[in-house]
Amino acid sequence: MISIGLTLIFGVLEIINFAHGEFLMLSMYASFWLFQLYGVDPYLSILVILPAFFVIGLAIQRITIQPVLNSPPLNQIFTTIGLSLILQNVALFLFKADYRTVKTSYSDLGLNFVGLIISFPRMIAFILAMGIIAALLIYLKSTYTGMAIRALAQERRASMLMGIDVYKTYRIAFGIGIACVGAAGSILMPIYFVFPTVGSLFVLIAFVVVILGGYNSLIGSLVGGLIIGVIEGFSGFFISPHLKEAVYFVIFIFILLFRPTGLFGRK
Amino acid sequence: MTFFGREINHKSKALSVIIVLALLALVALPFLIRNEFYLDLLVMIFFWATLAGAWNLLGGFAGQISLGHTAYFGIGAYTSTLLYLNFSISPWIGMFAGAALSILVATVVGYPCFRLSSHFFALATIAFAEVLRLLAAYWRGLTKGGLGLLTPFKPGLAYFMFDNKMAYAYIALAFMLFMVLVSWAIQRSRFGFYLISLREDQDGAESLGVDTHRGKMVALIISVFFTSAMGTFYSQYFQFIDPESCFSISLSIQLPLLSIIGGLGTVLGPVLGAFLLTPIDVLLRGWLGGVFAGLNLIVYGAILIGAVMYFPIGVGGWIKIRWERWLKDKMGSPAISSKPESAITSPQPLKSREVNKADGQILFEVRSLEKHFGGLQAVRNLSFQIKRGEIVGLIGPNGAGKTTIFNLISGFYSADGGEMEFNGHRITGLAPPHKVCRKGIGRTFQIVKPFSNMSVLDNIMVGVFCRLKDPRKSRIEALTMTDFAGLSKHRFSPASSLTIADRKRLELARALATKPDLLLLDEVVAGLTPRETKELMSIIQAISAQGVTILMIEHVMKAVMALSGRIIVIHHGEKIAEGTPAEVGENKAVIDAYLGKGFRRGK
Repeated sequence: MISIGLTLIFGVLEIINFAHGEFLMLSMYASFWLFQLYGVDPYLSILVILPAFFVIGLAIQRITIQPVLNSPPLNQIFTTIGLSLILQNVALFLFKADYRTVKTSYSDLGLNFVGLIISFPRMIAFILAMGIIAALLIYLKSTYTGMAIRALAQERRASMLMGIDVYKTYRIAFGIGIACVGAAGSILMPIYFVFPTVGSLFVLIAFVVVILGGYNSLIGSLVGGLIIGVIEGFSGFFISPHLKEAVYFVIFIFILLFRPTGLFGRK
Repeated sequence: MTFFGREINHKSKALSVIIVLALLALVALPFLIRNEFYLDLLVMIFFWATLAGAWNLLGGFAGQISLGHTAYFGIGAYTSTLLYLNFSISPWIGMFAGAALSILVATVVGYPCFRLSSHFFALATIAFAEVLRLLAAYWRGLTKGGLGLLTPFKPGLAYFMFDNKMAYAYIALAFMLFMVLVSWAIQRSRFGFYLISLREDQDGAESLGVDTHRGKMVALIISVFFTSAMGTFYSQYFQFIDPESCFSISLSIQLPLLSIIGGLGTVLGPVLGAFLLTPIDVLLRGWLGGVFAGLNLIVYGAILIGAVMYFPIGVGGWIKIRWERWLKDKMGSPAISSKPESAITSPQPLKSREVNKADGQILFEVRSLEKHFGGLQAVRNLSFQIKRGEIVGLIGPNGAGKTTIFNLISGFYSADGGEMEFNGHRITGLAPPHKVCRKGIGRTFQIVKPFSNMSVLDNIMVGVFCRLKDPRKSRIEALTMTDFAGLSKHRFSPASSLTIADRKRLELARALATKPDLLLLDEVVAGLTPRETKELMSIIQAISAQGVTILMIEHVMKAVMALSGRIIVIHHGEKIAEGTPAEVGENKAVIDAYLGKGFRRGK
């Protein structure tokens, strides 16, 4: 899901969002505090976080991304990197560097599924993620805004001529991308712990997934995510769990070099 | 880039006074400052300035945004420290060993990565640096992992360790000055022009004979050398290294940040950036670090966003603009070559390099050329010959494969079959394009590719450099070419400010500056007014009169018919007719496919 958000932003705006991981971190904190202070279940908190992050995404796009849309890539790269620095360190200041987790009644619950033990939160995570992705795909296929977003990803000028409000559509695409990552944060919270730099851990994996799947294919992101999951399991088993990330990056560099459009990408 | 100090006396005098004063101040500073804290600050300023300058060579001049420079920094730090700890090899030698290793790694990694577009290049470099960090943390036997390596303090020149900070300050200063000197030399040289041209437009640069890949590699190697050497310096200054400090993403971000604030792609920009930001960084950490960890990074992030959004030229760029304006006011005229105008507008030295110039000989020959994209056969069994001194028109409906043929000839595409022979040499498969250009085939692009942020003169100089190495001679040559193309008024304007007609002239002048035997013109008069068309046509005639053979794609029939001695008609990638303009105009197949029935009557 993190990757889908990233794909959407990159495919449409043609900007790589280096601050993506920081939004994940923020949503995990949001979910954590909602649970800690108000006892809101992390899964329920999606209902709050999803729209809230959509609005945050709109605002961030308007303030920081829109002004550099027509600038050289250098400016775009450093705008999102600057954003990432700010968010990460604001979090560090506000929440300190401690690792935090939520403890829910079902955290340790396992389901016995034909002999395989699957942890309950992981299964919920999978189902929820699939549900949100399906909803997103339907939205993109069937609504006007969805179509505008897809048109924009193909050709900006022509879309403008077709009467699409380009900047508004960019904002919405960015908002949806951030909302996706917001939802991902809430889903992740019962499984994982949160700390200010948790984002960079996930976002680099997300980049690998995006590149693997093809940076302008949402389905590609989904398949890429599954492949990475398998690779994670194997490399942890055959090489060393400590070098898991190194294996991702080596794969990542190789894909960038030999198939820069990814498995499902088009140019 | 638009001037050379020697040519403008006022300027060079004022400039050299400033440089000498600044140098004296820099040399005196470490000696005068007795306070440990400020001395440390000074060391850090020199240290960051060198690193940022190294990054700027690749990121600023060549436009390749690396976010993984910390990899080479770390390699430098670890190599020298490990060599010293395990084999008691002096860190001075270790520094070069580390740099050599870094360069080796950079060559292996950089070679394929340069094929990527800028966003992905940046991503790949981050990923690479992360792999190294993880390896350094994992490989405990060698690096002690996260614990880090501590070098026992043992002062002495041979150990690269000193008990007073002044020595470090002078070493760092020496590095910084060396780096500035190298950047300055590069900026003035042909290599510097090449780097900036490939940053502005890679295809355009290739078409003018610039080996863009080699340019990037050389810039990377120089950049990596300094980065790695500073890694060694860091390990000797702090006598402690660990994966977090030596392979940190924040170091990778700091370098471009300093360059951007100071002025990207300028010689002194990174130094200015370091002088401005390093004290802010240290002070912020000192004041607020205790209560508010990470505040300095928040401020950095804000400065970074603000800078790229509102002040992308940086302090260096701003000063440069001011300085040029001040000079202009003071001298009353823009900085122009000291040569008198009359000397510049002397007759054209547009001589071909070949001795044998007999007209009528076959200069270029294509035999059964083939090209397909997937299932689409773009060029099919195409053969034709061009004789020396001819102007040949290449016409046909849109999508007939004309531009594809140009791309095949000039090496942008590789042919799937057939042969091309130029001047007795086989040029099939002679990609990349700069090689074709150096053989003597120049080309223009249908969609012009000016180097937008370079002046008109500098644009043309890139072309001239294809045959000349010396910047001063090239400049004089480029001035002649500027006049020839009727761009004298605009010589110092940035190419981005030109009208479309002038851009086309520039494109032509640039290609001509490479002194081609054969010039490929892709729709040079398309989209121009009748008057502009006429002017450009007379330029083309003048070029031809100088003995340059021309193959031109054109849709403006008036222009092709009037200029060409012979016309080749292409349809669906095949040659359907060839002959004099009159013959082609009568040809039934051509009328059906392209000209239309009204053509003869309308004429």
